[in-house]
This record gives sequence, structure tokens and C-alpha cells, in this order.
Amino acid sequence: MAISRRDALQLSGVTAAAITLSGCSKYMGETTSTQAVSVSESTAAITTNSSTAVGVGSPAPLPQAKGPRVVVVGGGWSGLTIAKYTKKYAPNADVVLIEQRTEFMSCPLSNLWVVDAIDLDFLMHDYLQAARENDYMYFNATVVGVDKKRKIVSTSNGDLAYDHLVLAPGIDYDYSDWTTDPALEQRLRTEYPAGFKAGSEHLSLRNKVLDFEEGNFLLTVPTGNYRCLPAPYERACLIADFFKLEGIEGKVIILDENPQITIKADGFGSAFEKLYEDYIEYLPSSKIVNIDLDKKSVETELGEVIEFEDAAFYPKVRGGKLLEIAGVAKDSVFNKQEGDIDVFTYEVKGHPEVYITGDARPMGFSKSGNTANSEGVIVAKMIAGKINGKKVPWESPLTICFSAVAMDPVLAISVNASYMYDKEKAAFAFANASTNEKWDGKPGINNGKGMHEWAKGMFRDMFS
Amino acid sequence: MERRDFLKVVGAGAAVVIVKPSMIDQTLYADDGSMYKAYGKVKLVNSDGNMMKISDLKKEENYVFNYPFVGSTCMLINLPKKTAKEVTLKNEFGVEYLWKGGIGENQTLVSYSGICPHQLTHINKQESFISYRKKGEKFSGNIVCDGHTTLYDPNRGCKVVQGKAQQPFASIVMEEDADGTLWAVGVLGPEKFHDFFKNFRREFKHQFGGKRRAKKKVTSKATVLLMSEYTEEIIQL
Repeated sequence: MAISRRDALQLSGVTAAAITLSGCSKYMGETTSTQAVSVSESTAAITTNSSTAVGVGSPAPLPQAKGPRVVVVGGGWSGLTIAKYTKKYAPNADVVLIEQRTEFMSCPLSNLWVVDAIDLDFLMHDYLQAARENDYMYFNATVVGVDKKRKIVSTSNGDLAYDHLVLAPGIDYDYSDWTTDPALEQRLRTEYPAGFKAGSEHLSLRNKVLDFEEGNFLLTVPTGNYRCLPAPYERACLIADFFKLEGIEGKVIILDENPQITIKADGFGSAFEKLYEDYIEYLPSSKIVNIDLDKKSVETELGEVIEFEDAAFYPKVRGGKLLEIAGVAKDSVFNKQEGDIDVFTYEVKGHPEVYITGDARPMGFSKSGNTANSEGVIVAKMIAGKINGKKVPWESPLTICFSAVAMDPVLAISVNASYMYDKEKAAFAFANASTNEKWDGKPGINNGKGMHEWAKGMFRDMFS
Repeated sequence: MERRDFLKVVGAGAAVVIVKPSMIDQTLYADDGSMYKAYGKVKLVNSDGNMMKISDLKKEENYVFNYPFVGSTCMLINLPKKTAKEVTLKNEFGVEYLWKGGIGENQTLVSYSGICPHQLTHINKQESFISYRKKGEKFSGNIVCDGHTTLYDPNRGCKVVQGKAQQPFASIVMEEDADGTLWAVGVLGPEKFHDFFKNFRREFKHQFGGKRRAKKKVTSKATVLLMSEYTEEIIQL
């Protein structure tokens, strides 16, 4: 058989790749020995399994740590903030952010993109820029294990030792109230994604909304401390507004398992009534007891059967699966498998060099961007303090949360709250909470502008 | 002479010294521990180009002028009463500096950078989420950045009163001549100019014709305007 020039080039390409790989494993072997000296004694335990190993068991291809190594797992709002500010407040630290995604997509404000009211550009950000600008390393890998005794994180792209470890994996979904059948759960995840973990779920949801022709669009609201309390109601308003503006004969049905709107109830309630009377049907105390995806219907505890044309099923949330893998998960009073930590120091019980932050924390703080960002600065100060021998006391994170109720122009409402510890109840409660729930007229328009400026500031903070 | 010392001299020296833009960057970066940086001495004038006195400035009104760069807007406020004096403030790293107080016979005039030290929300020609709140308004007596609901006390060097900012707004240091002429002479505290010029290239292009123009130093005089004249919209939440 004759061999063409293109074939020859392809062949030589394959050979070159093979050479690169073996070179890579050699490099990683060298890295191991240097890390062993600089990071901690435990690092010496990382050895290559074979001369061509590139995954679990081989050392991560990272340069030698130049100071105490702080490994942050999870490049969401919490992890990004902690990586930046730990390096800022402890310049001697060697900070590595491990993230499995290659680009950042914001969940906050994504409802506006779902209805085509903002560009995708606004939500998308660059991990490389964040690492470059803030002098830490971005390591694109998935964590598959944590050896807390030897202080080693195992990833899909090799292992690395840590002196301090932050686990900020965010949420996972907990479908167990609805079904224990993996087939139904998988269908729900695929056909009717919740849309609260940014990425494909949001793309699916956006296409569902933009392509919608007529009928019921079902949204569900779970109980527990779910991610972004107002978001399902905001989403309902925006989808309804989209239907209204596009002349779509559709209705948004909100099946809320809670007895009432969980936050900003006056603002959302009045928007449902005054703006979307013909477009939104709000059904509180609606616990779903049966889901029939073939018939496209659900049955509630009250015996109602509701048919839908399309839907986003938002199940309860739980702590990111990583916490279980790391053996640091415990059911909280709100959700399953959240971080088993000291709520004032964020330290894992028995392992003070491991921290759990962001939406995987067990405290009843709002699972939202501003909370994670402000908490991230505090935790970074604590870690930097520990590195440099200074104890940093607990401080409340701050929740600032805008929600849009209309898209053209964007009209928004907001809540602003801190937290204080109630010793009698042994739990945190809102402190200094205030809301701005007037969406009509100038206040609503200004809140809409404020919402954009809030997000721009947050993105600047995390990525520049 | 060390390179840093040399750069400091260049930064503080006469404007006739031609320096490369990269060197200007270096002076913006420079951290000599003093938390004060002298920029060119610039006279504050009204829109007719004439000198203005403190008595020309209405109490509790939001005024602005651009200093020390063409693209960096500062607040100027004639407060209703005498400010505190000799207030010790800290930047986000815990470095202390001393804010001496308002100027003028009644020590009521204060000026601060219009770049929020929290997440860089700033006064610009299109919109401002930052303003002083006068009597009767929500959060009265404070400078409020509505980017993230942060309150600062203008009577105390813009110390953080509420919110998550880790440090005060930088102060614009002013002088008053015997005849009442007002001058801006330098910046005290955590200036954010380096981050500011890094982050808003598109805005500079739109509002000033580019970053290079926005980053030019203001020389000889700066025009004081009502914030409502300078910016298309003042947004208060």
C-alpha cells in the first residue's frame, strides 16, 4: 500500500506524541523528589507506578513548591477567592487551584442569559487569567482521592502533596426524595436538568426556553438549604416575561415544596400577581410524590396531577461528592453530606489543615456568589494567618443577592444580610438583614443596574 | 542608586523628565511604606477656568474632578461640620497611615479617590454607583458604594463603616492658599490606580479615547463639576 505524505505526517505525529509522553513521565519523576524536600515529608510517598504513569499514583506535573503549599480544590466563587487572597495575604505560600473545568461559567445572573437578556460573554471567564493575575497555579484535573494522613491529593492528572487543603466542591443533587431508581434519576438529569450547576444544564435549559411553543413549563423548588434561594422564582419571572414578550402561549407552573416563597416573598409575590398573572401559576406546599416522564406529568402529595410540556426539575442539594470521597462529609440539619467542620474555623474535625468552604459548608448561610466570595476572603486570611503564625478570628460572610423579575428593562429586587451565631439554638441566623423588594419604577431599574455592577465587581475580584 | 530609588525620584520629579510608560507603571506599583504619593500640584478651578474657594462649594453636594490622571475621577465634598482630625487608618495589609482631617477654616472640605477599594466600582462619565449621601437620604452622612453596599465615613478618612471592603477609599491630599485657592497635591492611602488602569481598557477607549489618554497626568489645573454634570446617571439603591 502506498503511503501518502499526509499519512506519513500523521504517523510521525503519533511517534512525536509518544516521545513527549515518556519525557513527561521522566519530568514528573524529577518533580517528585524535589517536592519531597520542599513541601512536607509526606510528599516522599508520591512515587511513579511505572515509567509511563500519568494519572493517579504518579506525581502531578507541577513545579517544586516554593513555600507552604496551599491546594484549593474547586474553581467556583469560593475556591477562586481563596486562591487569590491566600496568595495575597501570604505571598510566601505556594497556591495551586485544582479545577476540572477549563472555563468558568457564572451561575449568578445566568437566568438572564437563559432568556437571552445578556450575552454569554458576561458569564464566561478565564481560569488562566485568574491564575496569571494573582500569582497562583491553575491545575486542570479532577480530584479522585484525598489521603489526609499523608496530606496528598490524588487527581486524574497526578498526585500532589499539600500543607493546607481547601475543599470547595460546591453542590451535587440529591434525587432521593423523588426516586431511588437510577434510570429515572438519569432521565431527570438528562432530559430535565435542574440548571443550578453552570454549564450544559444551562445550555439545555436555554434551548428549552427559546424553543418553547406552548403549554406548561414546570419549575420545581426543593426544601432544605438549596443553592440560591430566590433563583427558581427569578427564573419563573424571566421565563414568563420571555413568553409574554414573544407572544408564546405558555405558562410557568412553580411547584414549590415549601409552604411559601422562601425569600423576597413580597417582591416575587407582587411580580407574579401584577406582571405575570396569566403566565405564572404558583403552587406552594407541593411535594411531588410521583413523576411520570413518559406521560409528562407529576403528582403531588395533595393529589394534584400536573402535566407539562417541558420542565426543569430542581431536586434537593447535597454537599459535593468529593467530600464523601475525602471522608469529610456529614449530614447537616439542612442537606445531606455537607462538610464536617468547625463552623467558626472551617477546619475539618481532626484535620485542622483541611478546610471546607463555599456551598459545601454545613452552616445555613445562603448558597450564593457574594456569600462564597466574602467568606473566601475571611478563610484566606485565616489560612494566611496560620501560615504566618497569626490567629484570625471568625467574621460573618455577607450575602448580597439581586434577583431580576423582568428582562426588558431588567427590573430587580435584592436582599442584604450578615449572620450571627445563636448560642441557644446552636445555629447561625440572619443579622442586619434588609431587603429592597420594590421592582416597579426607578427602584427596580436601579436594582437591575446594580445587579450588573455587582456581578462585574465580583468577576473583577476573582479574575483580575 | 538603587533602581527603585531612582524610580521614586523620577515619579516625584518635574514633569519635563520623559519617562517610559512602563516606568510610570513602576511608580504606580511602588510601595515605599509611606502610603503617600505626591503627584503634580494641580489647581482646582470652576468650569470657567477660574479659581474656586471652599465657600463656592455647596454643603453636602457631590462634586468631582479628575486627578491625578485624566481618567481617574475624585470626589470633593464640603461636609456639614468639622471632620475628625489625625485619624489612624489601615490598608488591607494592616499598614497604618494618618489622615489629617478636612481642610479650610472650618475643616469641612474633603476629597477622596472615586475608585472603590473593594472591587473597583468607580465614578465615570456613564454612571456612578458611588456618592455621598446628604441629610434625609438613606445612609446619610456616609459615602456609599452601591456596587456592593459598602459604607465609608468621610469624616474619618473614609474608614469602612459597613460592608466587605478591606480598606478605605484613598484620600486626595489638598492645600488651601491664603487667598483661598485650592490645590490637589497627592494621594494618601490605598490607591487602586494600577488595578484600575488594568481593568477598564474598553471604558477608557469609549470615554477618553484610549487607556494612554486616560492615564495621562493632569497638569496645572483640574475642573470641578457637580457629579450630576459629569456623569450621565448617579445610581443610588
